[in-house]
Amino acid sequence: MVKTENYSALLDRLSLQVNSFQEGFRILSNSRSLHDIGKNFVHLLRGNLLVSDINLFHKRNEDDDWIDLYIQKTESKSFTSYLKTSEALHLNFEKDSDYKVYFTLRCIDNSYFGIIIGSKIDKNDFNSLDAITLQIFTRLLDNAYQTFKARLREKELIFSLNHKVLQLNSLVDTGIEISKLENNTQLLELALERAVALTNASKGVMRIIRDEKVIATLRLPNTINVAETLKSKDRIETQVDYRGYSYIVTLVDKESRDGNAKFDDTDEILLTAFARQVHSAVENKELHKEALENETIKKELSVASSIQKKIIPETLPVIEGYEIAGINISSKEVGGDYYDCRILPNGKVALVMADVAGKGVPASLLVSSLSASLHAYLETEISLDDLAVKLNKLIYQSSTADKFITCFISILNPSTGELDIINAGHNPSLHLRENKVLEKIEAGGIALGMFDMGLPFKSEKRRIEKGERILMFTDGIPEAMNENDEEYSDERLEKFCIDNCFHDAEKFINELVADVRSFTKDTPQSDDITALYLIRKS
Amino acid sequence: MVSEFKLNSEVKNDCVVISTSGYVNNLGGQKIVDEFNSHHQNGLNNYVLNLAESKVVNSIGISFLIEVIEKLNDSSGKLVFTNLDPSVDKTFTIMGLFHYAEKAQSVDDGIQLLTNNKPD
Repeated sequence: MVKTENYSALLDRLSLQVNSFQEGFRILSNSRSLHDIGKNFVHLLRGNLLVSDINLFHKRNEDDDWIDLYIQKTESKSFTSYLKTSEALHLNFEKDSDYKVYFTLRCIDNSYFGIIIGSKIDKNDFNSLDAITLQIFTRLLDNAYQTFKARLREKELIFSLNHKVLQLNSLVDTGIEISKLENNTQLLELALERAVALTNASKGVMRIIRDEKVIATLRLPNTINVAETLKSKDRIETQVDYRGYSYIVTLVDKESRDGNAKFDDTDEILLTAFARQVHSAVENKELHKEALENETIKKELSVASSIQKKIIPETLPVIEGYEIAGINISSKEVGGDYYDCRILPNGKVALVMADVAGKGVPASLLVSSLSASLHAYLETEISLDDLAVKLNKLIYQSSTADKFITCFISILNPSTGELDIINAGHNPSLHLRENKVLEKIEAGGIALGMFDMGLPFKSEKRRIEKGERILMFTDGIPEAMNENDEEYSDERLEKFCIDNCFHDAEKFINELVADVRSFTKDTPQSDDITALYLIRKS
Repeated sequence: MVSEFKLNSEVKNDCVVISTSGYVNNLGGQKIVDEFNSHHQNGLNNYVLNLAESKVVNSIGISFLIEVIEKLNDSSGKLVFTNLDPSVDKTFTIMGLFHYAEKAQSVDDGIQLLTNNKPD
């Protein structure tokens, strides 16, 4: 039983302890950790109660076990069974026990402090003033703990707010950073790193899939086993599809200080946002690449166009007793078709129609080579058979395997109407006789530049009589397509030639182009349209 | 790509230099704190955390770094982060770590910063 002191002495002692209480509260409130609170509380009690053996325990809730917070004597642990939890503070004084005071304090978060106090140094029993002092310090402990928890919540709140700011900032930054990266792998790695870090995932995997096969896998950390990682139940996943590729991002095992946590809605939103950024970045990169390629093609075509303009004659020469007209309409800015008509030093006329496999600069350069070689050789009155052999070797040696030229060359003796003709794999030209009989001029051999095996080219001689006509053309006319993928056809061309044999050369060419256009309608021109039309007038 | 977390430490001029590589997350953060504690218990109070090989840090890892900073504040010690990747630098700025810790370009700069700040 606690001894009572007289009222006056009690007041004196309380008065002396006011400062001690205030200082005690200041010390307890400034404690930075639960351990600090315990340590400071025990030190304050020691000074005010003249007791050295004070032991403090804590448990998170009623069902948990007591954990040591600050203990003076290890044996005190075996007395924790005396600590009875209750909502109200109740000091238990035990005269016959090794420990004289037992009590618990229920805190704001339903955790408990347990206090076990040994004998006083002066061996006296605990009195009423001690009891009041204990109650006051216990209240101070309660307040200090509340302050500590409030400060902890404040810190967590600030940390959480900072983290939200970080997530938003990183989302914006990542979008900018990945858009600057040239390398797609770096882009994807960066996106995966950010997604993993900002969602507090412990691992991340990005799989790139095409035709249902995983063609690449990125991992963070790079040592993880992908198959094992993907088995985790604690995961979030998103998928981006672009041009046949699927990018599947999987984040695994969200972390917390206490171990693993669960991914929440914010994590899902963040992951989706990162995936969208990846999609945009990949798409922008592809579009940029295409724009650059288009620009390159445009420049290439411009160069090729200027080359071709120089080698296709702007005007055709006047041949006495004959009428001639030609046309070249490229399907792109420049094509691989070529025609020429020139009067040779011996008074004969060279008529050329050629078609290079391919388009653009490579085709126009090959046409340019053909034109220059033809000019040089035709000056020498070389036979067409030999000319074809030489041109074949030249084209074969100066072009790639997929490049060759089909070519129709005719040397006209204007005074006699005699034609020396060679056809190197080109469409047969059409010779319309006066009796409206159409003959195909097939003479020749293989296309120029296709093989260099010494295969012979066989020329043909024929004569164009007064009133007769010859149409040289490239395959862009009979193979012109309409919207039903039907070709204009050789048959239609032959019929057109017969039906329109009354037109002069210029008119015939124009009508032919108009007929092809009426057939193809709005279907884009798929190949060059090139034709040369010769009429013997006298 | 980011590797598994690894750590090593050495003492230079009474400064503990802890160098890490890999993802500073729960695991990495705990290892940093453990390493810090092992030196702090021996009375060492100046620390350089070299994050040259750690380009990815999550908020759990940061909470461990804050724990180190708080312990050093209590013992009047100092921490300097060095070789920070720009994104990690920005992360630490936003999370407020530089209110209580400093940063330097290199480990040597970090050590110099700590030793110059020592009271005479």
